[in-house]
Amino acid sequence: MREKLLRFALLLHSSQRYQKKKEFVRSILFDDSNPFKKFFDISIIFLVITSVFILIYEVNHTVPVWLDNYDIFVVSFIFAIEYVLRLWVYNDISDMIYKEYNDALFLKKDFDIYAVLKKGIKQKLQYMITPSAIVDLLAILPAYRPLRILRVFILFRVFKLLRYTKSINQFVDVLVTKKFELLTLLFLLLFIVFTSGMAIYILEAGKNENITSLFDGLYWAIVTISTVGYGDISPVTDVGRAISILIIISGIAMISFVTSVIVSAFSERLSELKEYRIVEQLNKKEKFLIICGYGQLTKMFFRQNRFDIGSYVILESDVEQVNKATKDGYIAINESASSFQALSKFNYQNADITLLALTSNDVENIYITLNAKSLSRKIKVIARVNNPDNINKFNSAGADELLMPNLIANTMIYTAITQPTMYKAMHAILTGKSLANIDEIHVHNSHGLIDRTIDEIDFKEHKLLFIGLKREGKFIFNPKGDFVIEAYDVMLVMGKKISIEYFKSLHEGKNNG
Amino acid sequence: MVKHKICIFGYGNHGKFISRGLDIENFDITIVESNTKNYKNAKNDGFENVYLIDVTNDEDIKKLTLTNDTQLVCVMDDEHLNVFLTLSLRSLYQDIYILSISDSINVTKKLKMAGANKVIDLYEVSANKIYNLLDRPVATSLLEEFVLNKNGITFREMVIPQGSFLHGKMVDEIDFASYEVLLVGMIDEEMGHSFVFITAGIEHKLDSGDTMVCIGYADKLKEFEKLISKADIN
Repeated sequence: MREKLLRFALLLHSSQRYQKKKEFVRSILFDDSNPFKKFFDISIIFLVITSVFILIYEVNHTVPVWLDNYDIFVVSFIFAIEYVLRLWVYNDISDMIYKEYNDALFLKKDFDIYAVLKKGIKQKLQYMITPSAIVDLLAILPAYRPLRILRVFILFRVFKLLRYTKSINQFVDVLVTKKFELLTLLFLLLFIVFTSGMAIYILEAGKNENITSLFDGLYWAIVTISTVGYGDISPVTDVGRAISILIIISGIAMISFVTSVIVSAFSERLSELKEYRIVEQLNKKEKFLIICGYGQLTKMFFRQNRFDIGSYVILESDVEQVNKATKDGYIAINESASSFQALSKFNYQNADITLLALTSNDVENIYITLNAKSLSRKIKVIARVNNPDNINKFNSAGADELLMPNLIANTMIYTAITQPTMYKAMHAILTGKSLANIDEIHVHNSHGLIDRTIDEIDFKEHKLLFIGLKREGKFIFNPKGDFVIEAYDVMLVMGKKISIEYFKSLHEGKNNG
Repeated sequence: MVKHKICIFGYGNHGKFISRGLDIENFDITIVESNTKNYKNAKNDGFENVYLIDVTNDEDIKKLTLTNDTQLVCVMDDEHLNVFLTLSLRSLYQDIYILSISDSINVTKKLKMAGANKVIDLYEVSANKIYNLLDRPVATSLLEEFVLNKNGITFREMVIPQGSFLHGKMVDEIDFASYEVLLVGMIDEEMGHSFVFITAGIEHKLDSGDTMVCIGYADKLKEFEKLISKADIN
């Protein structure tokens, strides 16, 4: 038996198909980036809403048989499958057996498969007693017809919705941080309710016709302490009234206490929740910028405000700087870009991310570059290099573009000295002043300029100066008139912004060309 | 050809790069330092006119006997010193051309107030480069290569000499491409002393004294510069 179990576990572990299927189920249930998850979520929500609607409709109407069947068989059945699947993917017993077995082989000690199985099953049981698993289980129960009272458990299906609403999860998370305070208050509340409930029962049972059992006393205590005060039960003796006064006062104190605990929990977590929102918003975008560090260069970058940079976020590890950035009106969160967790929050798989590593520390910038590149090669990194000696390191880290403030400034000074006229031109070009722009035209494979010769394109007519083009990494300056443009060439043209934009739009598609 | 006189204050991060890049055939370079180590570096790098002085002392600066046709470049590593130096130089010489480097927004303002003619803000130019890299990465890297003359192609400015065959011609009449150079822009003295890009859509008449900025291979540019001094090329 042991032998058979072990062989089965090892077979499962090595089976690619099994692992793939398990991974697929796991990703549909948990992975937000899985496109199918959305459909899955929506269908579960649909099932919940319809079954609750049937329950409400049932109160005053007779439900058609097919609807009842739908409720019992379809909804409950699907929920049951979901429950089993969640239980299945919660942990991987075959993997545990495989690892333990290998360890045992390595250490040459006896291998007890039952111990591992027990551990695995214990983990599954631990999952089963988590609130969400219990809700899932209770949502299946109404399918058991003989117990009509279980119909009420359909309402537990509504709780299933909680799984799909992030804000409520966040609310619960926040409350969990104040578990200790809230539990203390709860015990205090229970204590007061029980003692005063019992007291009123002992003192007034017999004298007060409304209080006939201990339950009446407890009910009265709760109604009074919560300051609801229905008035269906009210004390008739002086001692009873004195108890009322006491619990009303302690009730008011308790309510304000609970409120302040919850509010303070929220204000403590507010920045975290805000940051979470910022990242969520950003992840919906196809393209965005991550700017690391809020120093001089970043400030200057924003101050230039040359064109709309689209969606962005500033990651800064210094809280003070984050506050400054927020005060300056920029979107910033307190995260270190060199932390793997911080970057992996972003939707690096689908979005087009450009990361600007602009801190004044080369070591940090290299680390950020490596961090981003190890996450995904797709992330484009523009890194600031302060010490030219580190250029090689940045290149091996995989930075796409290097930004060397000293070199740029030196080049500008050098140009200002040697070619003062040119300096003005360079400055105008570099700062993108309206009159001149040197821009690139990427000839994609359905571009209107493909197969045309330079002579055929009248640059002068469009008030453009064609400087040359980059083909396969080489720059060809001022090609001759019979030169033919090919796909994937990058043309370098100079002209006013409007001229370039008009020219680009003219040749975007083949049909226009 | 008359050598441009240039006096560079500071042989640190910036001064080193700039001084080394300047062509000693065209420039008469003087280097001034207040730091002994940098001073020695400059000496070791083969510069002849290197002075070690206290730049906060006006008397010492006066001894340098700077003339109004000298271009002053203030690139001291210490920003406070740089501002102070700019201020001292301006108070000593009213009409001299001063170029300063700044590495923060606040310093830029101070340098301008101190009297620098041109201030190059390290962060401003870098910030602009980020925009360029985001918007047009290929063009940006190519331009930088042109400016630093990395792949043989570069910019060059040339003044149209007296009696040049270009004198009196319209820009459209000249086929620059046939000389393997491209005219990027010019200062047309008739239209005021400002630089106009060729693509601005204005018809220019070329005159002696106008400054043209051309792009092309360095040797072709030199050839073209020689060519334009001729009255007739046919």
